[in-house]
Amino acid sequence: MAFESVKETTESRIREVALGTGELKVGGENVLAFHLFEGEMPNRPLIAVEVYDYYPEEWSDAVKEPLADVLSDPVAWAKKAQDEWGADLIALRLKSTDPKGMDRSLEEAVETVKAVVDAVNIPVMIYGSEDVEKDGEVMKAVAAACEGKNVIIGPALEDNYKTIGAAAIGYNHTVAAKTPIDVNLAKQLNILLSNLGVDTEKILIDPTTGALGYGLEYTYSVMERLKIAALRQDDSMTQMPLIADVGTEVWKAKEAKTPASEEPLWGDEKKRGVIWEIVTATALLMAGADIVIMRHPDAIKAVRKVIDNMLS
Amino acid sequence: MDREKVRVCFYPENRCIEVDKGENLLRAAMKADVHINASCGGEGYCGKCRVIIEKGEVKQRLQVKLSQEEIKQGYTLACCSTVESDVDVRIPIESQIGDKGVLLRRPPIPLKGYTLSAKDWAERLPQWELNPPTAKFHLILDKPSLEDNISDAERIKRGLAKLADLKDVVIDYPMLSALPSMVRAASFDVTVTVLDRGMEQRAVRLEKGDTTPRQAAIAIDLGTTTVSAQLIDLQTGRVIAEASDYNGQISYGEDVITRIIYSTRSTGLAKLQSAAVNTIWNLIQQMVEKTGIEFCSITHLCISGNTTMIHLLLGLDPRYIRVDPYIPAATHFPWIKASNIGIRIASGVYLRCTPCVASYVGGDIVAGVLASGMFNSEKLTLYIDIGTNGEMVLGNKEWMLSCSCSAGPAFEGAGVKHGMRATRGAIEQVRINEVTKEPMIITIGNRRPIGICGSGLIDLLAELFLTGVIDERGKIDVDLDTPRTRVGESGSEYVLVWADESGTNRDIVITEADIDNLMRAKAAVYAGIQILLQEVGMKIEDVEEILIAGAFGRYLEIDKAIIIGLLPDVDTEKIKFVGNGSLLGSYLMALSKNLIKEADRIANMMTYLELSVNPRFMEQYVSALFLPHTHKEMFPTVLQRLEEARAAAGLGPLERGSELS
Repeated sequence: MAFESVKETTESRIREVALGTGELKVGGENVLAFHLFEGEMPNRPLIAVEVYDYYPEEWSDAVKEPLADVLSDPVAWAKKAQDEWGADLIALRLKSTDPKGMDRSLEEAVETVKAVVDAVNIPVMIYGSEDVEKDGEVMKAVAAACEGKNVIIGPALEDNYKTIGAAAIGYNHTVAAKTPIDVNLAKQLNILLSNLGVDTEKILIDPTTGALGYGLEYTYSVMERLKIAALRQDDSMTQMPLIADVGTEVWKAKEAKTPASEEPLWGDEKKRGVIWEIVTATALLMAGADIVIMRHPDAIKAVRKVIDNMLS
Repeated sequence: MDREKVRVCFYPENRCIEVDKGENLLRAAMKADVHINASCGGEGYCGKCRVIIEKGEVKQRLQVKLSQEEIKQGYTLACCSTVESDVDVRIPIESQIGDKGVLLRRPPIPLKGYTLSAKDWAERLPQWELNPPTAKFHLILDKPSLEDNISDAERIKRGLAKLADLKDVVIDYPMLSALPSMVRAASFDVTVTVLDRGMEQRAVRLEKGDTTPRQAAIAIDLGTTTVSAQLIDLQTGRVIAEASDYNGQISYGEDVITRIIYSTRSTGLAKLQSAAVNTIWNLIQQMVEKTGIEFCSITHLCISGNTTMIHLLLGLDPRYIRVDPYIPAATHFPWIKASNIGIRIASGVYLRCTPCVASYVGGDIVAGVLASGMFNSEKLTLYIDIGTNGEMVLGNKEWMLSCSCSAGPAFEGAGVKHGMRATRGAIEQVRINEVTKEPMIITIGNRRPIGICGSGLIDLLAELFLTGVIDERGKIDVDLDTPRTRVGESGSEYVLVWADESGTNRDIVITEADIDNLMRAKAAVYAGIQILLQEVGMKIEDVEEILIAGAFGRYLEIDKAIIIGLLPDVDTEKIKFVGNGSLLGSYLMALSKNLIKEADRIANMMTYLELSVNPRFMEQYVSALFLPHTHKEMFPTVLQRLEEARAAAGLGPLERGSELS
């Protein structure tokens, strides 16, 4: 008798969330990541490519070098990500609006966002500086300026979800809801947002990411548990697609960014960070990430190949 | 003895309920869930609760806030009126909710809950019989002679054997020393008190003549915050006096941990012991004076308390209770002479402390489980004692699993800005109007409010949530169109009583920090329940009976406790109140030596689950830190009430409210 593997199927599905104004959708799967023998993943996991709204002087040379020609121009950066690296969406970070940093104005932020959104034909997600107060104001302005584009705005946190959620409702955008690595807190924020009036099909979960060596296993198990709650327990308030914020977290790790001159035993600095990013992104895709935000072009290409192989 | 019932109808709500004759009209309105503005707790001071009696008879106290003209028109203050016959009451528009129309609210559910009482014992406690651990025997002894020359002690023993078939009675040493002169002074007509210690019968006291009709015992609940006592007539089994007071140890620390720390100082343990003894002694004195009995009719004491309290009372070093792996000196305690710990009532008075299970599940819980009859039940039962620690026990006659979680004293009114114990002037019931967010309050004793007690806090939290004043995380919406929500000096707050209507001349508020404390307390209790259930692989639906013990005040409303997620959303029929389980258990043991044996058995059969090392507790706790709960689908009736409340407030339905205002 031939071996037949056990299949766990479910009636539950992750919500399918439409991004931008075109055909692109995320989520919709009724299986744990890549369990294609048990069900389907109608939409492939997406790679969002990071674009910063200022020249990120502090970045490691290993990642600045391949981006050197676009780093000071968010529009060119976004276009290159779209045209050359095959980004599914752009993750624009308005880091420069941080009141503790450059404290750029709402007008400047909106200008950058408009320019990027108009320059590309893929969807855009816009993250603020994660300053609770400022993000509320910035996202209100961004939401108004992008009316009709269905961008993703965020991250909506427990302390500013009302402002950001209201902005998303008012101008019909999608919200990324971010909570600190906890299944319950993620669900709670989704409840708060939906009670506020945000359509549950316009919410994405950002459960907070830890890079390899910096809490990856926590993120992995939280993502996996969210998916299990969504699919096996039919928990409606966890059935939102998941975002893994890989690039920023990976390139904070000293193993990724320390030059070989300081740590000769750690190996080639040009490969080290890329590998760190590939491993983190791949692990979180296995955990159930529907969108991975990435930075280095080589890592992006490699992870795209991983996704292709897993789906074929 | 049931009181006569009368029917009260409120208009324009057109809602009628039945109440006891003599019920306060404002309380009747509260029961019927009819909103009448009322701010002063029922003292007749604010004059807001004006109603018109259209038919029937009410008795009024002095109504200074009404003019002669108004009184002629039938106006009365609801809080100052008692219902004496069937009445029709019209609520004039100014006492309702201003100009925003009549409030629609679901008809009330009778949710005061069923409280276990003496009539339940026959079924729940078949072991119960009036057979106290001490008994008095009146002996008329043969006078000694040359033919019958056994010793005085043997003569007593022989008398006991003849009269009551008691063999091998041991005579207590102090009794022995008084024996020769006493029996002769009494002309060999004496009463001997015998204590049944389980493994041994001990004669503990000798009295002249026949004193058998005079026999009393004392039951005590030795709580961390409050000590309650009862004086019991052992002939009839009736409680003839009750008294309670704060535990005198409070000045050395509010919770068990700080008291344990204090006990490790040089004379700390002795000080704490004498504080507890003094508190108990004062209560005994009060009760004895009240009833005029003699001290020497008291023959024994039964005391239940948490493990730390019993250690401190007995002078046992409690320091290892506090540190990993949390080991008490003892969990079972022998009968000891009350005078050994400084309770000097009369000679030969013994006391017994109810056995404990572990460091954080004490004799108070064992006594409660005993009193509730849970240990006899076939039904899967959940016993919950909500105090500074939330203790819970899951099981039935076959097995029991217990745990303890630190809930904090919020439900006892501590750790809350205007919290207080359930005494006069404490706000014990609250309703909030969905539209105006104006409150309706009732205080204990119908006095001007001075604070909020546990039941009031639970009511308040539930009402704030239902009316949208706070969100699921307990955050106050200060943007609401009402002066009642504001940002005060300690953060966002809701004003329950304005200064000019309070008994303290200050605004009585609940702050976001208070709400956080209450949320943490309720989350700890609910998480404890979930962990117990998980541990045995059961669901809350499997539980057939939930028994609640604790001191919330008189009016814990089950539906409110469910709305805030303190109790699981189960059929409210399943929920019953035990009251002060620890005192009730002590009372029963003082009267029935069978039950003392049962208490030992209960303490031995109970398995203890240490939550501080349970990794799933934190997880459950975080998911319970939300109103009613992160897994709101576990609270279907709450979701329904929320929808109704939102509809009444003219808000959209939950989830996907379409418009942004």
